[in-house]
Amino acid sequence: MEDLARRLCDLAKQRGAEFADVRVLRHRSESVLVQDGRADKLAAGTDRGVGVRVLVGRCWGFASADSLERRRGEQCVEDALALAKASAAFVSDPAMIAQVVPVVAEDRNDPEIPPGAMPVAEKIARLMEHERSGRGRGNGGGRIVNSIVSYAEAWRDGVLANTSGTLVRTAGGRAVATAMFVASDGKILQRGMEHRGIVGGAELLRQTEPEAFGIRAADKALAALKAKPAPAGRFTVIFHPSITGLLVHEALGHNAEADAVWAGQSILEGRLGEDLAAPGVSIYDDSTLPGRFGSFAYDSEGTPAARRTIIENGRLVGFLHSLETAAKFETAPTGSARAQSYDCRPIVRMSNTFMGNGNVPLAEMVRGVERGVYLEDGHWGYVFVQKGQFICHAGQAHMIEHGAIGEPLRDVSISSMTLPVLKSIDAVGDDFEMKMPGMCGKEGQSAATDCGGPHVRVTEVVVGGHQGT
Amino acid sequence: MSQHEESHLDLAARCVEKAVGLGAEWCDVATGSGRDISVTIEKSGIQMADAGRGEDTAIRVYVRGGMGYAVVSGSDRRDIDEAVERAVALAKEATPDPDFRCLPQPQPQPQVDGLFDEAIAGMSVEQVVRIAVANIEAAKAMEPDVNLSGHVGLSVGSGALASSTGVAVESRGTDISADISALIRRDGDTGYFYEFDFGRHLADCRLEQVAEGAVDGARRFLGAKRITSRRMTLVLGPLASYGLLSQLVAAANAESIQRGRSYLGGKLGEMIASPHLTIVDNGLVPRGIRSGAHDGEGTRRRPLTVIDAGRLTGLLHNSYTAGKAGVESTGHGTHSGGIGATNLRPALGTRPAADILAEVKDGIYLESGEIRPDPASGDVSASIDFGSLIRDGRVVHPVENAMLGGSIFDMLARLDAVSSDARIEPGILLPTLRIQDVQIAGAE
Repeated sequence: MEDLARRLCDLAKQRGAEFADVRVLRHRSESVLVQDGRADKLAAGTDRGVGVRVLVGRCWGFASADSLERRRGEQCVEDALALAKASAAFVSDPAMIAQVVPVVAEDRNDPEIPPGAMPVAEKIARLMEHERSGRGRGNGGGRIVNSIVSYAEAWRDGVLANTSGTLVRTAGGRAVATAMFVASDGKILQRGMEHRGIVGGAELLRQTEPEAFGIRAADKALAALKAKPAPAGRFTVIFHPSITGLLVHEALGHNAEADAVWAGQSILEGRLGEDLAAPGVSIYDDSTLPGRFGSFAYDSEGTPAARRTIIENGRLVGFLHSLETAAKFETAPTGSARAQSYDCRPIVRMSNTFMGNGNVPLAEMVRGVERGVYLEDGHWGYVFVQKGQFICHAGQAHMIEHGAIGEPLRDVSISSMTLPVLKSIDAVGDDFEMKMPGMCGKEGQSAATDCGGPHVRVTEVVVGGHQGT
Repeated sequence: MSQHEESHLDLAARCVEKAVGLGAEWCDVATGSGRDISVTIEKSGIQMADAGRGEDTAIRVYVRGGMGYAVVSGSDRRDIDEAVERAVALAKEATPDPDFRCLPQPQPQPQVDGLFDEAIAGMSVEQVVRIAVANIEAAKAMEPDVNLSGHVGLSVGSGALASSTGVAVESRGTDISADISALIRRDGDTGYFYEFDFGRHLADCRLEQVAEGAVDGARRFLGAKRITSRRMTLVLGPLASYGLLSQLVAAANAESIQRGRSYLGGKLGEMIASPHLTIVDNGLVPRGIRSGAHDGEGTRRRPLTVIDAGRLTGLLHNSYTAGKAGVESTGHGTHSGGIGATNLRPALGTRPAADILAEVKDGIYLESGEIRPDPASGDVSASIDFGSLIRDGRVVHPVENAMLGGSIFDMLARLDAVSSDARIEPGILLPTLRIQDVQIAGAE
C-alpha cells in the first residue's frame, strides 16, 4: 500500500499537480443481529481501494477505484487531473493548501481482542444474554414485544501520502453495540434504546454489563408506557449531559467547522473573538482522548490529532481546520479533516465534542425552575448552519414543577436558535459525562463522533409536545 | 466487457454454485458495477469535481432459515470466493429460523421502460460542469450576492441477480440530479432554501433551472418571525407531503408489523386516516426513479394500494415476511433482507392547492421537511424548518423556530384535503395536503 501511495503521488506531481494526496485503504467488518431470541442476521464485509485528490491550477479533482492495482490507481490520477482541469475555469474561490512540516508516522491501534479473534458463537451468546435480560423485564401491565440487540466491528488499515512528503500509516478498529426494546401495554408501543461504541474491538461485549445495557433499554421502554406526552411551547429546560452533547455538536460544532465558515454558510462567520455564549461556557473538540469513539491519532490528511478550543469562557476562540481551511484562514490545521473511506475526499469534521464542567449541582438547577422540562437520553439531532437553527431529540423527559423533577414524559424533540441558546445558558453543572458514541453525517459521509458535557439549564427552548400549556 | 471478462450474471451464478457446494440451502447473489461523476458548487463557484468507479458482490445464504450475508467490493476472484465462504459459514452459525420458507422462484418479469438513458451514460464531466455553471449564472442574474452551494451528479450502473432457485435477471440504469441551496443574507436577516431535480432520463429534467427555484425560496424565507403556540391548520406543500407519506408507507413494512414494533400493527383492514387519503406504491412506472422489473430478491414488482380511502389495505412484503404470513411477496424486498417502498402515488383530490390554502384562517404552510413519527408509538414531534404563517387564506411571512406535535393517527384523521394538482417527479406524485387542528409550538 505504501509503495502504491508514493508512486501515485509521484505520478500526480509529474503530471502537473501542485499538490496531491493519496489514501489507500483496506476495510473489513462483521456484524451480528439478535432479534426475538434468535441470531438471525450475521453479516461480513470487505472493501479496499484508493482515492486520489489533486490540486491543479485553482481547482480540486478527486477520483477513486475499488482496487489496489497499480493500473487502476494510475487511472485515478489521470481522472482526477482531468476533473480538476475541466472545472478550473469556473472556480470563484481558488483552492489552497497549508504548507506544513511533512509528517511521517505510524499509528497502530490494536484492539484488545483482534478482529475475528472472538468466535461468532461467543458474540451471539453475549448478545443473547443481553437480550434475555431485557426481555425478562416487565411492570404492571407492560411487557416487551420486540427486542433487537446488535453488535458490529470494523477494522481498517491504510496509508496516506501526499506530495509534500507526508506518509502516515494507520490501523485500528471500532466496535458498536445497540439494544432496542419495544414495550406494549396492549394499547400503545414505546421504545427504549442504548448504544455503546469504542475505539477497539470485541472487548466491548465483555465490558458491557446487562444492567447497563439490555436491562436499561428495556426499562426505558416499559417506563415510557406510563409517561404522558410532553407539553408544547417555550420552556426553561435542563439538559442531561447526553442532550448537552447534542447541543454542542449540532448547535455549535457544525457551525465551527471552518469549511462551512469559509463558505459563508455558518452563522459564526466573522465572529471570532466575540462573546457568543454565557460566561462559564467552554466548548472543546478533542480527538486525543484514549478509547473514545471519535478519537484518532492522525486525521485523513496526516495532521496529528489535537484538543481544539472552540468557546472559552463564553468567547469564540477557534474553528476546526483542514489543510485547506487553515491556508485560507492563515492559521494552523487542527487535524480535523476526515474522509469516510478511500472513495471520499477529506472534509472538516468533529471528533469528541463537549462542554467543560461548571459548578452548579443538578439539584440546585432544578430548584430554580418553577415550571420546565428536564430532557434526557439524547437520541439524535440536526442543524441548519445557515440559519443557526438546531433540533435535538430526547428519548425521555420529565416535567419540572415547583423546583422538583415531576412526572415522566414521552420522547420529544426540541428546537432553538444557536446564538440565543448559547447566551441563555444560566447554569452549567458539575457532573461531566460523555457517552454518546454515534455516526455524524455531513455531505454524504459519516464519521465516528462522541459528545457530552455536564447538565446545563437553558432559559428558552421550544418543546415540540402534543398539547399547549 | 471483453471476451475474457465474466458477466455480472455469470459471476453471480458461479457464486451461487459455490455457496450451494459449501452447504448453502438457499442462496442468492447480487453483482453490480457502476460509475459516478459529481461536481460540487460552493460559494457560487465550482469547488471540485470527483468521480468513482466500483463493483460489488453481495452473497446471501440461508441454512435452516438462518441468514449469512457477505459483501465484497472489487473484482478480485479470491476476495469474492472468500466472501462466499464467509456467507456460508455465518449462515451455519445463525440460529435456525422456522419462519423462513424459501427464496423467490423465477417469475415472468414485467417490461419497465426508460430505466437507462444513453444520453446520461455518454455525458462527460465537462457537460456536468456546464449544468452547474448554468445554475450559478442563473442564480447570480436573479440575486448577485446569493451564496449558492450544492451538487450536480450522475451515475451509471448495471447488475445481475442469480439464485439457487433459478432466478437469473439482469438490469441497468442511469440517473442524474442537481440539488442546490441558496443563501441570502440581507441586513442581518437570512433567507435559505434548496431545490432539486432528478431523473433517469436527461430529457425528463430541467437541471439548469434548479438554482432559480432555490433563489426564489431563499427570498421567500427572508423576514421570518416567531409565532405563539396554538392549534392551527397545517398545509403540507408537495415536498412536505412526501416527507409525511413516505414515512407512513415505510411503517407499512410487514416485518416491523410481524415483529410487533410498528404503530401500524394490527391495523390491516382498519381505517387509519381520513377517506381523503389513498396511496399506491408502484415500482413499474416507466422512467420512475425507483422503478424496476423486480425487487432485490428477484420478485416481480407490482402496484400495491397501501392505503385506500383511509383504510390500511396493503403491507410491503419481502419473501421472508410473505412466507411467514402465507401470502405472496409484494416485490418490496431488498437483497440484504430488508423491505423498502418504491414510487409513491397518492390519489389526487378535486380542488387545486391554491383553493385549499385559501380556506385556511390560521395555519402553517410547510414547504419542506420530514414529519417522522416514532416507528413504535406513532408520536410526532417535528421542527417546522421551512414553514410560513397562513392568515385568512394568504401566506404572510415565514416562521422562525416553531415545532409541531401530536399523534400520527390524530393527524391522519384530521386530513381534510388532498390537492388536484401535484408536483410530478419521475414516478412520484407530490400533492398538497391539509390537516386541521394541529398543535404548533412557537417561540413567541
